[in-house]
This record gives sequence, structure tokens and C-alpha cells, in this order.
Amino acid sequence: MENTVIKFENVTKKFSLQSQKTFKEFIPALLRGEETTKGFTALDNLSFEIHKGEVVGIIGPNGSGKSTILKLIAGVMSPSIGKVSVHGQVSPLIELGAGMHPELTGRENIYLNGAILGLKRKEIEKNLQNIIDFSEISEFIDQPVKHYSSGMYMRLAFSIAIHVHPEILLVDEILAVGDTNFQAKCFKKMNEYKKDNNITIIFVSHNLKQVATFCERVIYLNHHQIFADEIPKKSILLYTIDEKQTNKT
Amino acid sequence: MLPLIKEIKDVIKWRELLWQMVGREVKARYKQSILGYFWVILNPLAQMLVMSFAFSIILRIPTNAASNIPYSIFLFVALLPWNLFATSLSSAASSLVNSSSLITKVYFPRTILVLSTIIAKIIDFLFASTILIVYMFAYHIPISLNILWIFPIFFIQQIFTLGLSLFFAAANLIYRDIQYLLNMIILLWLYASPVFYPVDLVPEKFKIIYQLNPMAVIINAYRQTILGSGAPNYTSLAIALVLSLVVLLLGLSYFKSREKIFADNI
Repeated sequence: MENTVIKFENVTKKFSLQSQKTFKEFIPALLRGEETTKGFTALDNLSFEIHKGEVVGIIGPNGSGKSTILKLIAGVMSPSIGKVSVHGQVSPLIELGAGMHPELTGRENIYLNGAILGLKRKEIEKNLQNIIDFSEISEFIDQPVKHYSSGMYMRLAFSIAIHVHPEILLVDEILAVGDTNFQAKCFKKMNEYKKDNNITIIFVSHNLKQVATFCERVIYLNHHQIFADEIPKKSILLYTIDEKQTNKT
Repeated sequence: MLPLIKEIKDVIKWRELLWQMVGREVKARYKQSILGYFWVILNPLAQMLVMSFAFSIILRIPTNAASNIPYSIFLFVALLPWNLFATSLSSAASSLVNSSSLITKVYFPRTILVLSTIIAKIIDFLFASTILIVYMFAYHIPISLNILWIFPIFFIQQIFTLGLSLFFAAANLIYRDIQYLLNMIILLWLYASPVFYPVDLVPEKFKIIYQLNPMAVIINAYRQTILGSGAPNYTSLAIALVLSLVVLLLGLSYFKSREKIFADNI
């Protein structure tokens, strides 16, 4: 297929974590000849391609590198070795509400978060009413978000992110947001996006049932490498077998 | 020069975010306290009163020899831009650390975080400057056309501030105690710049140090042009401009070299 939107070529991501968080600790460590950085490999020589319109799930145990893949796609991290190419506007739905300011009202936060996600003012204005309606908090939209309940907070954040009209949507464990009604609404919106062949979705979750029903293809990560890249059934089966084995030992 | 032009283009592309971030800072300050912008004015005013008492009444530091300008105005003309410099630098240094949750999640030019902090401080500065204007009218301080020099001087100051801010913001993300080091540097720097004393009092053999300190040149130039003792010293100003540009280019290239691993280090 020629419509490759995301391409990982022999990507390795190593973190060289600074062992000393402060300058005060760093200087003595340097003088004593101690190691100043700790190496840690999060992804080991990964190659894969994702095409336009695909819905790809990523599963794997904690610490297997799922979030690192999303961060590489989002462009907030760069690979240590290899190449990541991304074509299209990426909208991260990872841990919502990062850009919210508690002192600002809901409405002001819509503008702020829209801008963080790369929207022009006009685009935000066009979608303002949809975002407010979707979040179901129109009564409180002119209140500072510090007075919101955590549920309201997340609903607003989700509504903003989902109205960005992304080309590549990154979803990380966020559909545990709000009550069941709101979750159902989110999935409905996600299903609309799924049908749109111009939107590519990368879906990271521990909920294998959700992954199985929602995704068309699943990448199973373990020990920082790809163990399987198959149709959902196969990848999930492999994952559950491995999990059972590790639980036994 | 090339990375600077590229960065400017990037920021222009993301200008909507820049204004939203500036708005966030300004609105949040305004909402947090009932008195809002009153604090921005009260703080330098209180500083001026206490410093005037200490340096003028107790230590009897003279103002410029030829003029009969009250010490408080002499001080205030220098204190306002100095405060802008000091607060910009220390808030910009923590701007990346404070937005760490954004840095690990969304891509946008990171320079915006530093820039928006500085612009918000400039807005505070403009508010605080209103008292200086009132004060100058009250004391009938004569103003000449030389006052127009404040625009290029201000520009040089901002280039210098931005360069240092970029450096400290990136460094502070890697070692969190850079912030404390910076606070110490700012305090010492205040004494090494002619803020509460006239530059005429500096012995001849130390003058060269003052010429190489852009803040000293800038502060002195403000005072000369606003309080009407003539045009600024062109040579000193040119040196300050060149030094500021060098600092900006170095600061930016350090920032860009570290930018790739910002998210790894949080």
C-alpha cells in the first residue's frame, strides 16, 4: 500500500537517565568518577508501517514500551537510532487535561487547549458549540475549571481533543472516563472516526475486549520488541498465553 | 543566524498558541487575587520607597551630577527595567519545568513556553510603568526627543533576556537546582549594575566591566535618555547589541540541542 502515514524503521529508543537530578549532586559524582547517566532501552529495533485509515491496537505488559511508541509518533520524543516518519496532523488523546489551567473558565480552556493541539482560532470558534454540547457541562462552561468535579474536567478535555478533526488519533487508556453513558458516547464518536478512511487511529489499552472489538490490527509488544503484528484475535491470543506463563512462573 | 530565522518562522506558525499562553498567564494572575494588577504596581512602588530610604537618606548616594532629579525617580527609571529583566529570567527558567505535563504529551515549538512567559512579564512591566509616568509629570521632569531611544534600548534588553532565558530554561530542566543558582546570580548582578547608584561613581579602572555588562549599559542608557541628560553612548550600546545577539544565538542553539531530550528528562 502506498498510503503509509506512520513508518518506523529500525527504531531503538534508549533513555540515558541522569542519575543526579540536581547540579549539587552532579558535580561531586563527576569528581568521584561515578556514572552520571543510567542507560535504559525502551524500544529495541522496531520496524512497522501503519497505513491511512487503519485502526491499530497496541497491547503488552506494563513497561513494554507502548507509551514510548505513542510519544515517538506524537513527536515529543525522538528515536536514539533509526527513523520515525509521520505524515499528517497528530492529535494525542493521551492523559487528557495536560493543558488545562485551573483558574481559567471552561470556555477559555477550550481556546487554550485547542491552540495547544494546533488549531486556529477560527476553527475553535466553529467547533465551540459542538465541544460544549458534547461535554454536557454547558451550565458550568463559564466557571473556572478548578470548581469542576474530576468527571466534568475529563469530559471537557475529551470533548476538546475529539473535536480536533485529526488525521492521526492517538488514544491511550482514556476511555475509562466519566460514567457509562459518557463512555458509550465516546465510543460512538470513535466509531464514526473509525469509519472515516482518512483517519488513522492508534489505540493503546489494557482492556483486551475493547481492543478486540475496536481494532483491525493489533501489535503485541513484549520485552521492548514486537512479538506479534496480526489480526486482533491472533495477537491477543499470543498475549494471553504469555501472560498465563509468566503468572505461573 | 539560520536557526534563529527558522525558529522565528516556527513561532509565527504557532502564534495562536503563543497568544493563548500569554493570555493564560495574564488572566490567571488577574483572577487569582482580588486586587489583580494592583500587586504588579504595588511591588515596585514599595521597593522604590524602601530603597530610596536606604540609599538616599541613609547612604546619601548622589544622582547624576548636573541634574536636580529626586533620587526616587532616578532609582525608579532603572528599577523598573531591572525588575523586568530579573522576573523574566527567573520565571522563564522554570517555564519548562512547570509545563512538564505538556512537554511529554503534545508537540509544539518549546520556545513558545519561554516566549510567552517573557511577554506576560512585559505586560506587567507596562502596567508598573504607568506610575513612573505619573510621577514624572508630578515632578515636572523635562522630556526631550531623546526619549525615543527607549525603544531600541528596550529591544536590546529583550534580545539579551531571551537569550539567557532560553539557556536557563533548558538547563533547569536537566538540573533543577539551576533555579537557585540563577536567583543568586540575579541578586549579585543587581549590585554589579548601576541600578541604585549612578555609573559616574564607578572608578575608572572598573568601567570596562560595566561596558561588557549589557544590563549596565542598558540601565544607564534608559536613565540618560529618559531623564534628559542627552543621547546614549553609541559605542556602549553597539557593544551591548552585539553581545546580546551572541547570547541569543548561543542560548537558542543550546536550547535546540537539548530540545530533543526534554521529554526524556522529565
